[in-house]
Amino acid sequence: MSLWTHIPGAFSTLAATGVDAGVVDIEMGRPLFLLIPALPALAALLCGLYWALGVKSKFPAWTTVAALAGSFAVTLVAYFEIAAPGLTHVVHGFRWINIAFGAAGGERMLFVADFSLYIDSLTVLWMLFVTGLATLIALYASEYMSDDVGPGYCRFFFAFSLFVVAMACLVMGDNLLMLFLGWEGVGLCSYLLIGYFFKKPSAVNAAKKAFVMNRIGDLGLMIGIMLAFLHFGSLRYEEIFAQVAILQQDGGDLAWTIKAIPYLLLVGAIGKSAQLPLFTWLPDAMEGPTPVSALIHAATMVTAGVYLVARMYPIFLLTPESLTLVAWIGGLTALVAATIGMAQYDIKRIMAYSTVSQLGFMFLGLGVLTSVGAAFHVFTHAFFKAALFLCCGAVMHGFAGQLDLRKLSGVQFMKGWGIVGVAMFVGCINLAGLPFTAGFFSKDMILAEAFTTPGFTALGVIALLTAGITAYYTFRVYFRVFLGPQHFEPGDELHGHDEHDHDDSHGDDGEAKTHDDGHAHDFHPHPPGWAINTVLVVLAVGSILAALAYVFPRETGGWVKGLISTSSAAGAAHHDHEASFFGLGDPHKVMYYVSGVIALVGIAIAWWLHLAGRTTAATSRADAIKQKIGPVGRWAERKWYFDEIYDFLFRYPLLIFSHIFYLFDKLVIDGLVDLFGRSPRSVGAGVRPTQSGGLQNYAMGMAGGLAFIIVVAWLVVWRMSS
Amino acid sequence: MIEKLQIIHPEMALFAATCIVLLIGLSGRSALRSACAPLTGVALLAAAWLGLQSPGADSELMQGMPFPGLLPYAKTLIALIGLLILPMLAGTVDRSYEKAVERGEVYNPMRSTRGEFYAFFMLSLIGVMLCATADDLIWLFLALELTSLPTYIMVAMSTSRLRSQEAGVKYFFLGAFGAAMFLYGFALLYGATGSTFLSEIREAMAEPGGAGPMAMLGLVMVIVGVSFKIAAVPMHFYAADVYQGAGTTVAAFLAFAPKAAGFFTLLILLGAVGWTHGPNGDALPPELRVILWVIAALTMTIGNTLALLQTSVKRILAYSSVAHSGYMLVGLIAGPGAGSIASNGLAAMLFYLLCYGVMTTGAFAAIAALERRAADGGREEIDSIEDLRGLCRVYPLVGWSMVVCSLSLLGLPPLLGFFGKLMLFTSAISAGEIVLVVVMGLNSAVAAFYYLRLAGYPLLEQRHDEAESPTLTPAPGRRLAACVAAVGVVALVVFISPLQRASHEATQLTPLPAVVEVKPASEAEVARR
Repeated sequence: MSLWTHIPGAFSTLAATGVDAGVVDIEMGRPLFLLIPALPALAALLCGLYWALGVKSKFPAWTTVAALAGSFAVTLVAYFEIAAPGLTHVVHGFRWINIAFGAAGGERMLFVADFSLYIDSLTVLWMLFVTGLATLIALYASEYMSDDVGPGYCRFFFAFSLFVVAMACLVMGDNLLMLFLGWEGVGLCSYLLIGYFFKKPSAVNAAKKAFVMNRIGDLGLMIGIMLAFLHFGSLRYEEIFAQVAILQQDGGDLAWTIKAIPYLLLVGAIGKSAQLPLFTWLPDAMEGPTPVSALIHAATMVTAGVYLVARMYPIFLLTPESLTLVAWIGGLTALVAATIGMAQYDIKRIMAYSTVSQLGFMFLGLGVLTSVGAAFHVFTHAFFKAALFLCCGAVMHGFAGQLDLRKLSGVQFMKGWGIVGVAMFVGCINLAGLPFTAGFFSKDMILAEAFTTPGFTALGVIALLTAGITAYYTFRVYFRVFLGPQHFEPGDELHGHDEHDHDDSHGDDGEAKTHDDGHAHDFHPHPPGWAINTVLVVLAVGSILAALAYVFPRETGGWVKGLISTSSAAGAAHHDHEASFFGLGDPHKVMYYVSGVIALVGIAIAWWLHLAGRTTAATSRADAIKQKIGPVGRWAERKWYFDEIYDFLFRYPLLIFSHIFYLFDKLVIDGLVDLFGRSPRSVGAGVRPTQSGGLQNYAMGMAGGLAFIIVVAWLVVWRMSS
Repeated sequence: MIEKLQIIHPEMALFAATCIVLLIGLSGRSALRSACAPLTGVALLAAAWLGLQSPGADSELMQGMPFPGLLPYAKTLIALIGLLILPMLAGTVDRSYEKAVERGEVYNPMRSTRGEFYAFFMLSLIGVMLCATADDLIWLFLALELTSLPTYIMVAMSTSRLRSQEAGVKYFFLGAFGAAMFLYGFALLYGATGSTFLSEIREAMAEPGGAGPMAMLGLVMVIVGVSFKIAAVPMHFYAADVYQGAGTTVAAFLAFAPKAAGFFTLLILLGAVGWTHGPNGDALPPELRVILWVIAALTMTIGNTLALLQTSVKRILAYSSVAHSGYMLVGLIAGPGAGSIASNGLAAMLFYLLCYGVMTTGAFAAIAALERRAADGGREEIDSIEDLRGLCRVYPLVGWSMVVCSLSLLGLPPLLGFFGKLMLFTSAISAGEIVLVVVMGLNSAVAAFYYLRLAGYPLLEQRHDEAESPTLTPAPGRRLAACVAAVGVVALVVFISPLQRASHEATQLTPLPAVVEVKPASEAEVARR
């Protein structure tokens, strides 16, 4: 707003305050790049305006798509000007916070934070897929949300645009405070969008759960940021990196408060990226509209944790033990989430658990020092997971909210569903890691590095096992829903059949419910229109082409590697070059074959259990196996009882405490407040009846007050002189 | 000599209008009588414009004043807030009498109070402006009394009910008591420094040993005495009774004008002492700092806790105005800071005065715009918080003005009050007053309790009984004032940077010239030799 007026004078302010020191050659970028957050901010404002004006058309969607496309175009300019040549630019927006403080007589400290952008190749890589995917998904949502045209539509695109603004702050900010601003901003938008159907109790609960769980992580992040400021005297990346470089050269023992920083940042990353033990919010977040799940809870926001670790990699490298923890958290999350995903029936939830699992892979990659692998996996995953979610969304949209894989079958061959089926297939082969797909290459980099880095072989085995499970559950969805005999039962949201309110038609628990057969007879699934199909085609093609980024350009060893190696996230990996994959040779080479075979085995098992010889939608050979393993399947289906355990460990004790505190509050505090609050009033009521009595009392009070103040002043003088 | 009058051009314009209004207010022609308010408005506009032209820091005339840049900001601010309050004064006096005249009663000038009401309104504003202009203790005292004396009468005549007269008398006696206090303080100050000129007092205080016990006692008495004007502890007792007894429109005026006068007085006097003490050389003398600290902390705490359990909106707003005085005192304690806008507590105080003036006028105007059936069958102004129920649905403009202004008083971002409070916070942090910041933060949290009630009743509650519920007053000016204030609370946010910069420039403290003369040895020293 008014603060933007400072932009023209940005350079002079910066030069005057002398904040241009740093180790890396950092140049001033063009103010043009401020448009990347500004355009979506404008779109958010306009959507708010449309809401106020009561616009009942698809205007908000087109505004958002146009603004996001603009952002994407500017990001492309940033790519060619800054990232491609491997430069780092800082674009100064305005001075945000400038406080001098310090105890009286003590040292004065300056707390300065600018609204500035730090643009290097890591930033640009992230912003490319954030703005690109956001544009596509906004286009998709223009059709997907069309049943809500009106105030809800404006609200949706308002939060959607605001999310991109916040994400841009998070990724592009030049200091940790901007990152924190964006971090909270994306959390807020995520909360707003998960709870979009706010008349549905399950959506509201999911939104609250996401918000509260993220608070736990945010607390860690906040303390981490405070410690960083305390130690480095600044929150700007370039100054922090400069000081970390000095610390690294000096060697020697670090203060425990510095060592604690990466762990605290990790707590934040765990919350946002849904890792163990804070992952349970993400599957519930699927209560939001599917485009939201695709953009926020699969492709972009949840990778903020990975970004945080990658951005602050120098600090993590300072205490390598923290990276070991990152690796173990990632590996275990990948396995646990994958096992839960195997047993789910709701296809959107399967995708959610798969997201948690893939994020685990990315953390594993960061932990075993292949930031390139992690970033590449973030990049490829963003494409194919968005495609998968949007396909699920198309199915959900077309079959009236049906998501149960036992109630859908053979969708691929229904009229008008071909593109969805093909896009789903492309997404599935990527997620399963079929050889020569993008997902295959990016996962391989992480797997191979796990075996190369000494001490991580056990994690490597876990990751390989997870890769197999991933291939199985991915194709379980594909074989059940898209292939096999054609059959469907619609869900309980009958779009387009009558005008009833979308929000009200939900059941209490939000799970897709079966309906009596009467509905099924008049129900016709409506296949997706041009907007959804276009987006799916683009994403499917993008997912395939992302594989090329592994190979080209050859000089830098792949596009992503070239980008990451010029950013602060370039890790100094200490590889064991003699490493061997169980005696078979260099893991980097062997891994292609091993993981390829594992993916194929997973797919084959899925085929045998879920497609071969299946004649109905509801049953398959897997049912027999489920019978045999007894309760284990049920345990997995109930998410290994994580929610129940958390309830038992945290929620119920907290509830009990809150009741105790409530009673304390009610009886003691309220009593005191009432006492303090009422006594002046009763005193007042007592002296009011006689006019002169009140006046004299007041005058007495004033005179007494004067006497009291003079005594205080005298005491101060007396204390000073003695 | 004549060019010296430049510094009181706005006052002169207002005074001319005051004389005319006094005359035409008695006129037998109702059209001429009803021209009082528009004429006042024109005069205030002229005063605002002349205020902008007032000599600033670069003018010859202002050399030697502690705050050479203060006048344009102060006078424009006072005139503009006066302009905001003016439309809501409509229908305060003579409403029933004018109706009677319309019905055919013979007009008797002796019974008309319209002219004097608007004249007093302007005289009081002239007093506030003169406080900001003062360069002399006598002048300052007269200006302070010129601010207050008209308000005593305005309170008494604001409604025809007995309790207004009771409030007026109460206010007058206690006000006289307060005036005696700071007059005594002025006398002590004169005794200690030998001058009534602020610039000379300033030089005397800057000399080693200049700020002796007598001068300090004088300043303490002044601060406590002026606390009456700003309704700070321990002089806050009258606020709730008087605000409640006065008509809502006059209460709104009381919440701004005497307060502004008090803060300008404190600003000028403390400017004469200077923020050059303390370990870093950027604080007030320790005894003044401590008593202001205690007054500020007590004022906000007592104001907010007393407001908690009130059900009368006027009493709530009265205690809220007490609490806000406490917040503004924080800016005075912080002082001019190290040079940046964010660390300038005086600028924060002046900026907050602006924010507070807009917000509190809006809240008062919203309740002044409503009336309900009185016990005696007539119409009376609403007062109970119950009367605010469901206002947003029935009268959206008034209801939303109330909501927006209460939320801004609470300091909810992104409204005006938030930015005002933020500036106070940053300046206090810069000055190292961390404990005071914590107290202020806690108080802001406590205050949420009653401000949210003020916002929640109009927004969320339902009306009980349509027949017993309040309706709009026939004076549309009050609605207008509420809406303008609410729009200001939202729209001024856009202009925060220039406004803050203006308040920063207004509070640039002239550095004292280096003491070159050698002080002649005092008698005691001569005797020792």
